[in-house]
Amino acid sequence: MKQSFKSGRLGYDLWVKDASADIKGSPLEQLTRQTPEGLSLKPLYTAADLQGIPFLDTMPGQPPFTRGPRATMYTFRPWTIRQYAGFSTAEESNKFYRNALAAGQKGLSVAFDLATHRGYDSDNLRVVGDVGKAGVAIDTVDDMKILFDQIPLDQMSVSMTMNGAVLPILAGYIVAAEEQGVSQDKLTGTIQNDILKEYLVRNTYIYPPKPSMRIVGDIIEYTSQFMPNYNSISISGYHIQEAGADAALELAYTLADGIEYVKAAIARGQDVDSFAPRLSFFFAVGMNFYMEIAKLRAARTLWWELMQQFAPKNPKSSMLRTHCQTSGWTLTEQDPYNNMVRTTIEAMAAVLGGTQSLHTNSFDEAVSLPTKTSSRIARNTQLIIQEETDITHTVDPFGGSYFMEKLTFDLINRAKEILQEIDAAGGMVEAIQSGLPKLRIEESAAQKQAGIDSGANIIVGVNKYRVQEASEIDVLDIDNTAVREAQIKRIKAVKATRDSKATEQALNALKDAAASDSANLLAYAIECMRKRATVGEISDAIAEIYGRHTATTQAVSNVYINNYKDSGVIDDVKQQIAEFTIEEGRRPRILVVKLGQDGHDRGAKVIATGFADLGFDVDIGPLFQTPEEAAKQAIENDVHVIGVSTQVAGHKTLVPQLIKVLQIHDAHEIAVVVGGIIPTRDYAELKKAGVVSVFGPGTPIPECAAQVLQAIKSKQKSEIAK
Amino acid sequence: MNVAFDLAEKILAGQRRALAKAITLIESTKHADRLIAEEILTRIIPHTGNSIRLGISGVPGVGKSTLIEALGKYLLQYNKRLAVLTIDPSSPVTGGSILGDKTRMESLAREENAFIRPSPTNGNLGGVGRRTRETMLACEAAGFDFIIVETVGVGQSEVAAASMVDVFMMLQLPNAGDELQGIKKGILELADILVITKADGQQKQMAEHARLEQQRALHLTRHENNWKPPVLTASALEDKGIAQIFESVDECHRIKQSSGQLQLKRQAQARAWFEQELVEGAKDWLVHHLGSSHQLADAESDVIGGRIPASAAVRHIFDQLLSGAESTTKKIRR
Repeated sequence: MKQSFKSGRLGYDLWVKDASADIKGSPLEQLTRQTPEGLSLKPLYTAADLQGIPFLDTMPGQPPFTRGPRATMYTFRPWTIRQYAGFSTAEESNKFYRNALAAGQKGLSVAFDLATHRGYDSDNLRVVGDVGKAGVAIDTVDDMKILFDQIPLDQMSVSMTMNGAVLPILAGYIVAAEEQGVSQDKLTGTIQNDILKEYLVRNTYIYPPKPSMRIVGDIIEYTSQFMPNYNSISISGYHIQEAGADAALELAYTLADGIEYVKAAIARGQDVDSFAPRLSFFFAVGMNFYMEIAKLRAARTLWWELMQQFAPKNPKSSMLRTHCQTSGWTLTEQDPYNNMVRTTIEAMAAVLGGTQSLHTNSFDEAVSLPTKTSSRIARNTQLIIQEETDITHTVDPFGGSYFMEKLTFDLINRAKEILQEIDAAGGMVEAIQSGLPKLRIEESAAQKQAGIDSGANIIVGVNKYRVQEASEIDVLDIDNTAVREAQIKRIKAVKATRDSKATEQALNALKDAAASDSANLLAYAIECMRKRATVGEISDAIAEIYGRHTATTQAVSNVYINNYKDSGVIDDVKQQIAEFTIEEGRRPRILVVKLGQDGHDRGAKVIATGFADLGFDVDIGPLFQTPEEAAKQAIENDVHVIGVSTQVAGHKTLVPQLIKVLQIHDAHEIAVVVGGIIPTRDYAELKKAGVVSVFGPGTPIPECAAQVLQAIKSKQKSEIAK
Repeated sequence: MNVAFDLAEKILAGQRRALAKAITLIESTKHADRLIAEEILTRIIPHTGNSIRLGISGVPGVGKSTLIEALGKYLLQYNKRLAVLTIDPSSPVTGGSILGDKTRMESLAREENAFIRPSPTNGNLGGVGRRTRETMLACEAAGFDFIIVETVGVGQSEVAAASMVDVFMMLQLPNAGDELQGIKKGILELADILVITKADGQQKQMAEHARLEQQRALHLTRHENNWKPPVLTASALEDKGIAQIFESVDECHRIKQSSGQLQLKRQAQARAWFEQELVEGAKDWLVHHLGSSHQLADAESDVIGGRIPASAAVRHIFDQLLSGAESTTKKIRR
């Protein structure tokens, strides 16, 4: 054995020679990949790469927590399997939760419908298409009680994804528990309560940033006093990645949001150690396997470092604990069973990165809410990793890897640069108002889309290895009208039986509290819920004082086209547009709209910027438009076509309504196309309603643009024929 | 049925859809559309001239849309019917544009008595002025009695906007001098009213300071008699100063009207419009009639190649046109 191998410098030089020979003399640099984060991934890492990394050889459960927040991690107790779900009605959701708990799930996670998120009752006319979409409709504490029926809230940790209507929802949960006989100090779980990222990406806010930050502060204060085991906030990078951000942006913006919340709580006179241990995080895990592992390690390290400025005494105050979810954006409609494999890889990254709880997506979620079967498979993905493999048997298995330690370090440094930009803008609240972070995310999204559309980034079954026949999968259909009617009936019943005078008094007290700086709004919201005020009434009462927030829309330009690698395709579409422009006397003009309360605008933004780059005149509609409002805008601007971007299944109600309104106003020549997450079996129904084209996820933008031009022309032809 | 006649009738009846379609025809680069547009305009022109025409300009980010929304909602309370014409720059690289104005005037856009129409510049700022004026007339014929023309302040477009409105208002940020905001001296002199925006929160004092400074500066500049341009501060966020802006606009308009200045101004604007059309029209005519022959392209490449001075090239085209006038006329008639 003596001297039969070489190590260190000597060995490395030899490797360079061997590697160069392997690639036939082309420069070795070509094996170094540039990541969207702006980092270089080398083909090989060695001990030399570990130089200057400060957190090497630290221990799990000890600062800076790079290797995990707990000493034993999964070797003693694995992560919590926490599947996010909400099924239109409280009854159905309750049934689903009870089944899941029986099947081995340890905590439950509630998804609310869009109307609830935005603080509207189900009987509000603005939300006709939104009730029961993407989650459960909650209007009153009675709905809450049905939701948690026979679920012991003193034993079950409940996570709630709620940001806009946090006050009535958290209050409703507390009162439901109270009436179940469980006092609030026994409640465990998490409320998302992360309003800043809503302005950045998800758009389910209600009030402007400043009063919203006060509400966040109130909730942190209240829970730290009365609900010691409850996580008052889940600072979320998930939606930032889903909106198109790379790992560095996701990491930096999430931690910057977190710091902003800490500052808000401290400004209210709270001691950092009284609330910081209850802050929790939520990250997305996508397909960049190593990067995602590094991201979780980097997040813990960097959070510890950032928190030192507040001089916490309790080590738990600077210990980052996180929930993770596999990326919904990476799921494809095409060849959908591939999604199970994607989710498995992503789940592995989350586990190897050291997450505290995990949601694995169901493979059919690219088109709809999961079915019973698909959600069982999703849950089993985690059970198999936990119970069939040896993955849980060692803490931080990547610790000490030359590559992983270096990647973690590089990512931390990149995130610090972004954090400096935020600091220079005066913190995250200021930065958000300037619109810069949102533009950075949209820029990143446009780059990614151009990479996929031009085939530079591969997605199996979408832009490579496509299958010819579409696989029909069972999808869950929501009868939105029936859900809405049932909800309205229940609201009426509650309003008829409550002591209206007491309700009104409670609501008035809440208004007064909102107008004063000192009161804690959650305490007042709880009183309103006890007196059977509705989610909408509570939200409106506060809106009377704070107003509702309206976002200004900015859009990036020329990013898509500059990142599209195949100019032949682009030139072809541009040529078609040029011909159209001459024929028509103006450029093709499209109105890109989102209808209803669905705030996910990544698709709409990417389409808008991509189409403008190709030479369309693009009108953007404000978020949360009703079909009537969208039609008015289309008519006034006299667009050729309306492109409806849809994500959460409101299309079946809202799109036919839009077409009807256009006809009423003598604007039948305006074509309507729909794109986004739409089950194939809805295509026929939409076309029958008058939609000219339907685009599923994954249609490259140049192809979309060419088809939209065709749609305009065929619409014009059919109008002339009439 | 005659398209122009039909649209003109519907516009006069106040139909939104017809107005929108007419604007498309007005902006169209197609010759046939232009003919229809001219016929519509000819029919409706007796019914125009009855609105207050307000121009609003300022650098990007100064808060034009926000202010227009606040001002617009204020006007609607007084049963005014408001049309807002906004001009968005097209990308010089791709030719496309993103027209996001309505997301910035979301609640105004919903109002039944408001009509908002964003138009892309299509790389031609002068052209915007040309078509915006006609669009304004169409809006007047449709019964809109208050018209706001919004332009991004980049120098040239303010001149175009100011040349078609009764009252011209410039917006300025509280925290920067003219130079920083890229406002050229001459442009400021076009303003009848100057508004310092975003006078809220910590910027309130800065705004007041800027107001005094601008007031002093404006005193030194020449202006149409009996109207001293006021400098106001406003906060759309705190809903402050909006009523004052409206009163100033209204007062400026009233004074100009009662003194007869407004009539003179509109006549001068119409004269300039005619002169501009004469030039642009002649060019359009030439392109339309000579476009298919190589005459224009040849002359252009000679000028580009430095072989002939531009003036001589143009004269040559006219000379040729005159000598062959007979045959050309025949060709057109056929």
